[in-house]
Amino acid sequence: MDFLGGVVSWFLSAENWSGPAGIPNRLWEHIQISAIATIAALLLALPPAMWLGHRRRGGFAAVSLVNLGRAIPSFAIMVLFVPISIRLGLGIGFWPSLLALFALALPPMFVNTYTAVRDVDPALVEAGRGMGMTEAGIMRSIEAPMASPVILAAIRVSAVQVVATAPLAALVAWGGLGRYIIDGFSVRDNVRVFAGALLVTLLSIGTDLLLGAVERRVVPPGLSPAAEVVPPAHG
Amino acid sequence: MRTHRNGFLGAILVVVLALLLTACGSGEETGTDNSTTTTSADAMAETTTTHAMMDGPTITIGSANFSESALVAEIYAQVLESAGFPVERTLNVGNREIYAAALEDGGLDLVPEYLGSALSYLGGTPTSDTAATAQALADAWKDAGIAVLDPAPAQDKNGVVVRQDTADELSLSKVSDLAGHDDLILGGPPECPERDFCQKGLEDVYGLSFAEFKPLDAGGPLTVAALEGDEIQVAILFTSDGVIAAKGFVLLEDDKGLQPAENVTPVIRQEIVDAYGDDLKSALNSVSAALTTSALSEMNRQVGIDGDDPEQVAADWISNNL
Repeated sequence: MDFLGGVVSWFLSAENWSGPAGIPNRLWEHIQISAIATIAALLLALPPAMWLGHRRRGGFAAVSLVNLGRAIPSFAIMVLFVPISIRLGLGIGFWPSLLALFALALPPMFVNTYTAVRDVDPALVEAGRGMGMTEAGIMRSIEAPMASPVILAAIRVSAVQVVATAPLAALVAWGGLGRYIIDGFSVRDNVRVFAGALLVTLLSIGTDLLLGAVERRVVPPGLSPAAEVVPPAHG
Repeated sequence: MRTHRNGFLGAILVVVLALLLTACGSGEETGTDNSTTTTSADAMAETTTTHAMMDGPTITIGSANFSESALVAEIYAQVLESAGFPVERTLNVGNREIYAAALEDGGLDLVPEYLGSALSYLGGTPTSDTAATAQALADAWKDAGIAVLDPAPAQDKNGVVVRQDTADELSLSKVSDLAGHDDLILGGPPECPERDFCQKGLEDVYGLSFAEFKPLDAGGPLTVAALEGDEIQVAILFTSDGVIAAKGFVLLEDDKGLQPAENVTPVIRQEIVDAYGDDLKSALNSVSAALTTSALSEMNRQVGIDGDDPEQVAADWISNNL
């Protein structure tokens, strides 16, 4: 109970809500680096993955290559990139962390997008061609909406992973909520470690809920999971 | 395989015993029963051969999570091993908050400590006097069942380090020369802002202020890289760090005596000392007697910069100095 009381008073303490080490700033830093990493990965993964999925070939090599990114631990990427980043004048904390999170976010988006587009019913694509649609039109009006539930789910999974992994950035002198965990651990302040972990958990859940809501709005009604469960009225 | 080996060992012991008995001229007493002969031979071999395991608790040796601490722990381990003590290594445990707690809990039995930091951790006030600080540390840890053995002359303190070009430009040679340079960024271990002998002391004792503090590592590659790359201008490194000379950094003189005595000292659970007595103490104290700051810096350079194997560096130092 003492411990939980400590956590509660940590959250109630005014000094933890202001300044560079305060929760609002740490939260903002965390969201910032997570969002940039996720969006950058999204922009780089989706176009080639959709195009390869559309062509339905060359994908295996690409997927294997991209999956290599998953095999390298995020922390290893950070640490390996620190000296390079310093030499390039990019500083010590932000860019190595961003690169690691980007490498974490990219593979699930790429692989899922590629697979989802490739698995769109060929009959639909042929029908589109038969109606005189251009290849770009097929990708835009048939494959993208059909694949959207899987793609959006992949974005959500990637984003949650990134948010949950971003505390590692505190190990290479970047901010974010990981600071509470790393700094708290270094002086054995378990209350601070727990508070930091709790904040990261809440942010991960928040990210999941937010992107879940986006998913429900963006996925065409006919393709939403709800539509799959309830049989169409005209069966 | 195991029985095979035991049989072989037994045979050797019988021969050894036979030779010993012949020498003593008491062959008639034990020549009757083969099994008791082997048993007594076992006991004898253990007390007479230095390389045989001693009976008693295994000594779990830990260290802090930086290479010098692990290196000194490795030296302790090799010296004790060759003296026949049963030893287990649990190196790189963590920072003081973690390994000191493990020592008090009994998860670790022996760690290399730094007098001043340890005393400060226990709530005491260390001074630059080695003997007084060692005594104060021994008193502070007594009730927790932890004994403090002889301090080595080697000292490893927090050192305030700048690059040569920064030192030239701002004409810095002492820590107090940093006064007024509020635009500099300080970098060091994450706990630095909360430690008396780190940022807190620099602010309170020297009246310094820094533009920012960057939480990096405890005198590790991250801090060195950040200082080299001008991410930080002032770094907290260890005074015995081989990197300071190797990179041409400038160690600023601690002119206000902020840093206390930080002699490398074996601290050990009293129950282990009680179990083994003076042999154990003198083995560890012999390490302390020979370990100087320059020896430590040199070994740190070999491990940290030349990339030599710590076990080999420890073994070489032992064979040249003990």
